[in-house]
Amino acid sequence: MTTHFISAEVDLSDTAEELHSAIETELQKHGEPLRWAVTDVDVDRQKAVVEGYVLLESPIAPSPATA
Amino acid sequence: MILRPFTVVLIVPTGVGASIGGFAGDALPVARAIAQISDTLITHPNVLNGAQLYWPIPNALYVEGYALDKFAQGCWGLQPVHQNRIGLILDSGIEPDLQLRHLQAVDASRATLGLNITDYVLTDAPLNVELRMSESGASWGTIANPDSLLRAAEKLITQAKVQAIAVVARFPDDVGSLALANYRHGKGVDPLAGAEAVISHLIVRTFKIPCAHAPALLPLPLDPHLSPRSAAEEIGYTFLSCVLAGLSKAPQFVTQGTEERDADRERKHTQLITKDRVDAVVIPATACGGSAILSLSGRSTVQIIAVGDNKTQMQAPPEKLGIKALQVNSYLEAIGVLVALRSGISPASLGADISPLRCLSDSTKQI
Repeated sequence: MTTHFISAEVDLSDTAEELHSAIETELQKHGEPLRWAVTDVDVDRQKAVVEGYVLLESPIAPSPATA
Repeated sequence: MILRPFTVVLIVPTGVGASIGGFAGDALPVARAIAQISDTLITHPNVLNGAQLYWPIPNALYVEGYALDKFAQGCWGLQPVHQNRIGLILDSGIEPDLQLRHLQAVDASRATLGLNITDYVLTDAPLNVELRMSESGASWGTIANPDSLLRAAEKLITQAKVQAIAVVARFPDDVGSLALANYRHGKGVDPLAGAEAVISHLIVRTFKIPCAHAPALLPLPLDPHLSPRSAAEEIGYTFLSCVLAGLSKAPQFVTQGTEERDADRERKHTQLITKDRVDAVVIPATACGGSAILSLSGRSTVQIIAVGDNKTQMQAPPEKLGIKALQVNSYLEAIGVLVALRSGISPASLGADISPLRCLSDSTKQI
């Protein structure tokens, strides 16, 4: 398992719930969203700037002693 | 008789330089005040953790950030408890003397506070935390060995049957850095906070049990100009006491699956707190872009209260995100709004100017 920092731009939506869904969809392209937030909003371009972490998962690896 | 408990969510996002709550548990006074006028306060470790300092708030629920996001989405419910059995994960990258300091902090919490902490696990590899700052100015970080962290948690859950997990990871001391100097002087962004959130999020996401993190650091040289907001982190050897106190009564998470399987479902339903219970959310005005606030703002019964003078590095105010919020200047004002809401009084009716009634036009023109 690894964690990755992602910065992305997402189109602003009509409602906050739609924006939430759009952000998760965008981050899922890179992995499983773990933590994110809109850090800035460009009203002219109708874009939300998002920063977050995603998880690229593999089953929990065995300990080094048993690997 | 309480017909509907008044439930408030207080959020101060971690690692974004909040001028109130961005340091050493310095939003705790806000939480204490809001708890006084709420039946239930739901907040998170960044608000309540003051290193050696903490304050037991009987009606406050200590909910880690990932779980708070899931709660706000309606995926998880919160089940209050009397006490959790806590397990401790110690990063094997911590020097032996510093490990001993943390084990003694645990012993102190058992003997002096009566907490139920039964077992600890040393990770099978150093976690190797690295710290970063993002372009927006938020702190974040990575752990090189997340699988080692998760193996330790799995061992505590399966072998010791713990119900909550405290993690202590060795963080870089970073002595002499500008970020640390600023933080100690009550300015800038907590350089550790973002990486701490990753650690607790990983465990909560994987095992769905309460978790919180305390960093292991060597004591800093004495600074006569230390900010009061940062001082709680410089009065002892560990930051662990507040985490253990918070986890001891942190609510368990009831996910859709576990709720279905629970034989005592009826009892759980009477106590379970879901997002439908939330009446108000208090948030810094520039930091409305997190998952929990976007989820909760879609509910017409939830009043979002955006506090202007809690500045952050974020540039995400409610109006730019399509969030209907009541903007106030201070937490004192927010508390006034909460009192009005709880009393069934429109906050607008307490001002000098009351806007005229709107007449909605009837587009269908039916009579």
